[in-house]
Amino acid sequence: MTENNNEKEERKGKYIIEREYVEDERIIEPEKLDIGGVDASGRWGLIVLPRVIKDFDHSLIDEVKKLPRGKHIERCWQCGLCTSVCPVAHKEPNFNPRYFIYIVKMGYKSEIKKLKKYVYLCQGCGLCSEACPKHVDPSGVMMALNILFDKV
Amino acid sequence: MEKNKSVLVIGAGPAGLQASKDIAEFGYRVILVEKNSELGGAPIRWKYHTLAPDFVPTEKVLGPLIDFVKNNNLITVYTDSIVESYEQKEDFFNIKILNLKSKGVYNEKVSAIIVATGFEHFNASVDPRYGYGINPNVIGINELEVMISNGKVLRHDGKIPKRIGFIFCVGSRDRSTNPWCCTVCCGVSIKQAIEIKKIIPDSQIYMIYMDIRTVGLWEKLYWQSMENYHINYIRGRVGEIYWTGEKLLVKGEDTLVRGPFEALFDMIVLAVGMEPGEGTKQIAKVLGLKVNEYGFLSPRIPNIHYDSGKDGIFLAGACVAPMSVEEAIGEGSAAALQAIKYSMRKAKKMP
Repeated sequence: MTENNNEKEERKGKYIIEREYVEDERIIEPEKLDIGGVDASGRWGLIVLPRVIKDFDHSLIDEVKKLPRGKHIERCWQCGLCTSVCPVAHKEPNFNPRYFIYIVKMGYKSEIKKLKKYVYLCQGCGLCSEACPKHVDPSGVMMALNILFDKV
Repeated sequence: MEKNKSVLVIGAGPAGLQASKDIAEFGYRVILVEKNSELGGAPIRWKYHTLAPDFVPTEKVLGPLIDFVKNNNLITVYTDSIVESYEQKEDFFNIKILNLKSKGVYNEKVSAIIVATGFEHFNASVDPRYGYGINPNVIGINELEVMISNGKVLRHDGKIPKRIGFIFCVGSRDRSTNPWCCTVCCGVSIKQAIEIKKIIPDSQIYMIYMDIRTVGLWEKLYWQSMENYHINYIRGRVGEIYWTGEKLLVKGEDTLVRGPFEALFDMIVLAVGMEPGEGTKQIAKVLGLKVNEYGFLSPRIPNIHYDSGKDGIFLAGACVAPMSVEEAIGEGSAAALQAIKYSMRKAKKMP
């Protein structure tokens, strides 16, 4: 059963050139599609959703700022020192404190949806907070994000 | 008239004014030539409201200099005038000054010359990406500064802009326009963003930048703007701006998320860079000064700005390289001392 599923996943959008740059979620490939008697199933009905960031939404950062350890999130200037000292980030490429802070700051909701399952990986070792040149307290921000992402 | 006791200063901006003041205080005569009808140079012409990084009103810095120059007996001011030609004699220069309005020609004898002809802002309509001059509400930082001076930041239709974007490095650090960094636009833009935030507290401001180059103590502007004024920074460049009939659609890339963005803005401010102006080109031709590949006046040794490489001619301010008001004032002072030293040597009062 699982093998079948994997096969299906692989087939999705397989005619797209440079397929590795397109995330699975953005590919819509209808298994059965009939347009006025014309069969448009499979690759004929393929739609790739654009990955353009349409808007900035700052509602989330206001929430983060209200939490005791998230109050300094605004100081972040994206130097990436937190990620470079983070032992978790070296194991798991999807765990990137700098990036989490940025997408929350700019309110890129679709990215948050994609990445919220990784934030909990923070072990709270505090290396990032010690390294941070602007005293953002990234490990605290991760904690605040965990609290918040539960609600989102 | 003592021909060895007067100095010609070309350009009445921060550098030229400071040079004139210092020379006059030494008891020398000053002939100050300014192309425009107002003294004060760029900060006065474009009505700079305050100066970065400490929000000091422009009048507080330049007002005393302008008053001194206007009221000092030793300083002769020629406004609306340019230096048309010069002739080097053994120990002095013969100068011909042309008044652009009355077409009158004046002759002066001076012992030294200070060139402080300053800069012009980059004309953003040269770069078609931004639609400057075509799209309404796409303005330059110089135009925004006038709005801030008037205390009102408004769109073309009189509405208050809520979402404002600043685009950095317009006509700077770009091989197709000007490849140098204008050094002050980052600081000035951030200063203006903070001032907008004070005028329109509920506005959202986005700075779209490549690098933030707030040099020296100007860095605190950058920190303040993030921490106290909640100004957002987007790292990337803008490819196109469309006018939708109501708002501006800005297309760019956010390089920190590796994703293109398309967002609507009420107003876009272009941080237009500095380039050598017509006055600098004209004076380089008249005095036969060396010009570098960018069109700025080229000192004999790049690190020593005042030394033009020509006997008795000294350089100061933004005609040599882009610089801030505080640097220009310092350079004016430095050039003044050099001019006096040179004049004293010529008059054999000093070895």
